[in-house]
Amino acid sequence: MSVIPREEWDKYPDIEISLNVNGKDYKVKVKPYERLLDVLRYKLGFTGVKEGCGRGECGACVVLMDGKLVPSCLVLAVRANGSKILTVEGLAPEGKLHAIQKALLDTYAVQCGFCFPGVILAIKALLDRNPNPTDEEIKDALSGQLCRCGSYLRFIKAVKLAAQYIREGKEYFDESEVRG
Amino acid sequence: MSELPEYVRIVEEVFDKYKDKEFLYVGKRIQRWDAIEKVKGRILFTADFAKYYRNAVFVYSVRTKYAHAKIKSIDISEAQRYPGVLRVITAKDIPGVNDVGYVIPDQPLLVSDKARYIGDIIALIVAEDPNVAKEAGELIKVDYEKLPVITDPLQVIDLRTLKEKEHPLIHEERGSDIVAHFKIRKGDIKKAFSEADVIVEGEYSTPFQEHAYMEPEAAIALPEADGGVTIIATTQCPFDVRKAVAKVLGITQNKVRVIVPAVGGGFGGKEDVANELGAKAALAALMTGRPAVVIHSREESIIGHSKRHPMRAWYRHAAKRDGTLLGVEANIVFDTGAYASLGPFVAWRATVHATGPYKVEAARVDTLSVYTNNVYAGAFRGFGCPQTAFAVESQMDALAEELGMDPVDLRLKNILREGDRTVHGQLLTKDHGVGLEEAIRKAVEASKWYEKRKLFSKQSGILRKGIGIALLWHGNSIGVEGADYSSATLIINRDGSITFRVGLIDMGQGSQWGMVLIASEILGVPPSYFRIEQPDTAATPDSGPTVASRSTVMGGAAVVNAAYKLRQRLNKVASTLLGCDPDDVEIRAPDVYCRSNPEKKVSWSDVVEQSFWLGIPLQEFGYFRAPPAEWDEETGQGAPYITYTFGAIIAEVTVDLETGGVKVDRMVTAYDIGKVINRVGVELHAEGGAIQGLGYALMEEVVHNKDAYVMNANLSTYYIPTIHDVPDEIIPIFVEAKYRRGPFGAKGLGEPSINGIAPAIVNAVSHATGLRFHSIPLTPEKVYMALKKAGKTPF
Repeated sequence: MSVIPREEWDKYPDIEISLNVNGKDYKVKVKPYERLLDVLRYKLGFTGVKEGCGRGECGACVVLMDGKLVPSCLVLAVRANGSKILTVEGLAPEGKLHAIQKALLDTYAVQCGFCFPGVILAIKALLDRNPNPTDEEIKDALSGQLCRCGSYLRFIKAVKLAAQYIREGKEYFDESEVRG
Repeated sequence: MSELPEYVRIVEEVFDKYKDKEFLYVGKRIQRWDAIEKVKGRILFTADFAKYYRNAVFVYSVRTKYAHAKIKSIDISEAQRYPGVLRVITAKDIPGVNDVGYVIPDQPLLVSDKARYIGDIIALIVAEDPNVAKEAGELIKVDYEKLPVITDPLQVIDLRTLKEKEHPLIHEERGSDIVAHFKIRKGDIKKAFSEADVIVEGEYSTPFQEHAYMEPEAAIALPEADGGVTIIATTQCPFDVRKAVAKVLGITQNKVRVIVPAVGGGFGGKEDVANELGAKAALAALMTGRPAVVIHSREESIIGHSKRHPMRAWYRHAAKRDGTLLGVEANIVFDTGAYASLGPFVAWRATVHATGPYKVEAARVDTLSVYTNNVYAGAFRGFGCPQTAFAVESQMDALAEELGMDPVDLRLKNILREGDRTVHGQLLTKDHGVGLEEAIRKAVEASKWYEKRKLFSKQSGILRKGIGIALLWHGNSIGVEGADYSSATLIINRDGSITFRVGLIDMGQGSQWGMVLIASEILGVPPSYFRIEQPDTAATPDSGPTVASRSTVMGGAAVVNAAYKLRQRLNKVASTLLGCDPDDVEIRAPDVYCRSNPEKKVSWSDVVEQSFWLGIPLQEFGYFRAPPAEWDEETGQGAPYITYTFGAIIAEVTVDLETGGVKVDRMVTAYDIGKVINRVGVELHAEGGAIQGLGYALMEEVVHNKDAYVMNANLSTYYIPTIHDVPDEIIPIFVEAKYRRGPFGAKGLGEPSINGIAPAIVNAVSHATGLRFHSIPLTPEKVYMALKKAGKTPF
C-alpha cells in the first residue's frame, strides 16, 4: 500500500450522503474512501451487516442496494448516495419474523450465526426474482455465501420452506408466537 | 466405592436414576436460546461492540517482512511522528512478560531480536483511525539479517531414523527444534512382523488446514481505574486469556476481566490467538487510557493464528492371513510451525489414537512435533486425530486389498469391543460405553455397503462411483494435558426464572444449550425459564477451556451436580407444602405435585417463594473433576482418557476420469456418543464436521512458498466448501453406548465429527479409481495426475 501523506488527505472534505436504510432516511458525512460496510456498521449502527473478509469473498456483508445484492465491503459509501439499502435488521417489521427467518428456525439451521445476515439477504434476493427455485437455483444463489459451521443442506430446505410460506401468503410471523 | 468424590457419586446416581426414564428435554429437538436473535441479526459479536465506543483507538500489528531473520534494530521514530498516530508499542514497552506461548513459553507477543515466521509482530501502532494506523505501519524501519528458511519438517528430522538433522536452529534458545516426542511401546513388535503373513507399508502426508471461521478475531479493551482492564474478546478460553493478559501486563489476574459475547465459529482456532489479541488491545488501552479495538483482517487471521498440523507419517501394519492385526509401527512427524502453541498436546493425542480403534497387541509408535518457519500449528477440531486417522484407515484399506477381504469385514475382525483393552492397556468396560460395532453395522445398513461395493466394482465410462469406509475414535476431554475440571452456577431468582452461568463458551456448537437441557431435565423446569449469561471471568465460574469435546461431558457433569442439589432441596420444600415424601415430588414447572396424588398441585413460583422465606439457598455451584489420566511416558501404557467416542463413516463418491474431479454424493456418519443430550446440536455437528472434513479431504491446504510466505491467505485462494460442494445427503446416525460418569451417559462429539471424514472419502476415491492415494487434499490435479500416470484417463 502506498502512503498518502496526511496533508493530501485533509484536502478532501467529508462528503454528506443520503441513504435510506430499512425504510428510514439518513444523512451522514463520510470520507471519500469509506466503505458502505463501515458506514452501516459504525456510523449508523447496523451491525447485522458482518465483515468476514473485506474482499467480497465470503458474503457476510451483503446488503440489498436498490434491490440488488451487493457486498457492502466493496461499495464506497459515496457510491451508495441516494440509494435504498436493506439490511437484515429491516427484513421484517418490529416484532415480526420474515418467512425466511422462520424457515431457518424451522429447519434448525442456526449455529454460530455469523453468516446468517448475508445468507438471509441472499435468499431474499433469490425469492424476490424467483418465487419457486429449484435446488440448483438455490445453490447458485447461495454459492457466494460461505458458512463454516456447515448448515448448507438446511439452507436448501429453508429456502424451499420460505418460498412455500410466501406463496401461502404467510410472509411474516409474530416473533412472540414463534418464541412460544 | 465409598472413596469416590461426592461430585462423581452424584453423576453416577443421576445416571442410574434416569437410565430408563422418559426424558422431557434431553435428546429432544429444542430450538437453541439465541436462534431468534441470530436470524434477526441482533446478536452481537465482539467487533460489533465497537459501535458503542466513540472515543476508541485502533491497533494495527506491524509484522515481519521475513519469515526467518535476526532483527538488528527497529526504528519507530517516523511512524511515531505520522499524523494521527497516538502511540507505537514495541517489545521494550511491555510491562510484564513478553510471551503468549500456550503450552511452553516460546512465543513473544512482540518480537525484538528474531522473527521465526511471517506472522511475527514487530510493533503495534495505535491511532484513532484504523487506516492511519495501517499507513504508519509502512514507516517502521527494521534492520533484518535474513536467515535460511525451513518450510519442510523433514529438513529438521529424518522420518525413518527420527534423528534431528543438521539445520539452522529456529529456536536456538532451546538447543533443539524438536518440541515433543511421545511413544507407545507394547508387546513384541519384532515378533509380530516376523510372524506376519502380510505386511503393508505406506507414507502419508496431510496439509496445513485453516479454520476459516467466518468471524475473524477481534478484541476490545477498556482501561479500568485501578490499572486493570476489561476485555471483550473472541475466544474459546476466557480464563486462559485472563491469565495471558495478566502475565503480559504484569498485573494480577483479578484485575483482568474477560467477557465473551457471541463467537462466530472457533473449531480450536480461537484458543491461543485470543491471548495475543487480548494482550494487544489491553496494552493499547492502558497506554492511551481509551477503549482499544483490535480487529484482524482475513489475511491477518489466516497468517496470524494457529493451523491444523501437517503430518508426515510412515506406517507399517502386520497381519495374519485371516485379517487379525498382529502389530503396528508408526513414525509420525508433526510440523508445529514457528511456535509450539498446543503442538505438544496435539502430538500426544495423535499418539494415543495412532493405531485406530482396534485391538493391537504389539505396537511401536513415535510421534515428534518439530519447529519450522511456517505459520504455527495448534488446536483444530480433531486435534491430531484426523491426521493419524487418514494414515491408519488408508492402511486398513490397503491391508484389506492385500488380503482380498472386504474393508468392513477386516475392520469388524479387529475393532475394540466391551471387555477389550486399548493399545495402552486400558480396559474398556460397560461403564465406558463401547458402541463401535453397532455404529459400523448401522452405517453399513444405511449405506447399503455390500450392495454398492459390489456394484461399483464393475463400472465403465468417464464417471466412476466408489464407496469407502473409515472408523474413528476420540478420547473425551483433555486426558493428561492438565487438570480436567469444570464448574457451573445455577441461580433460581425470586420470580422463578433461572440464571445459568458457566465459563464454557458457545462458538456456534450449542454447548451451553446442551447444559441447559441437562439442568431443565433435572429441575423439571422448561429451558425457556433459563437465561444463559455469556462467559465473563467476573461472573461465570472457571469451567476450564472450551476444547476437546468436553463441554457436554465435563461442563454437563458440573451442571448435573448443581441442578441435582437444588432439586433435592426443592423437593423437600415442596413435600412439606404437598404433604408427601420428597422422593414423590414431581416438578413440571409451572406445576409441582406428588406422583401419588397428581391432582393436588402447587406452583413452581410458590415453591421458590416458600424456599426463599425458609432460607433455603436457591443458588448452587456445581463442580466436577475427571479422574486423573494415567500415561507412562516411556511405554504409552495407562488409561489416557476417561472414555472414548467411536464412529464409522461411509462415503459415496463420483470421480470424473477426464478432470480428476471428485464429487461426494452421500455420507453416512454413525457415531457412538453415549446419551444424546442436544439432539439438534449433534445433528448439526455430524453435518458440519462432514462438510469441514470434505474440505480437508478434497480442497483445503495453506500453501507456504520457499520463503515461508503464505500464498493463499484469503478466501478466494484458500478454498473451503461452498453450498455447491456439499453431498446431496448426509445421514447422521447415533448409537447410545452410555458412559456412566457422563451426564445421563453422554460422551462428546465436537471434535470426532471430523476425524473419519477424509479417510472415508479417500478410500471411496480409491474404490472408484483402483488407485491408492497417500496425501490429501485430493485436488483434481492430484487425482488427474495419478490417473494419467496409471493410464486411466481418456487423454
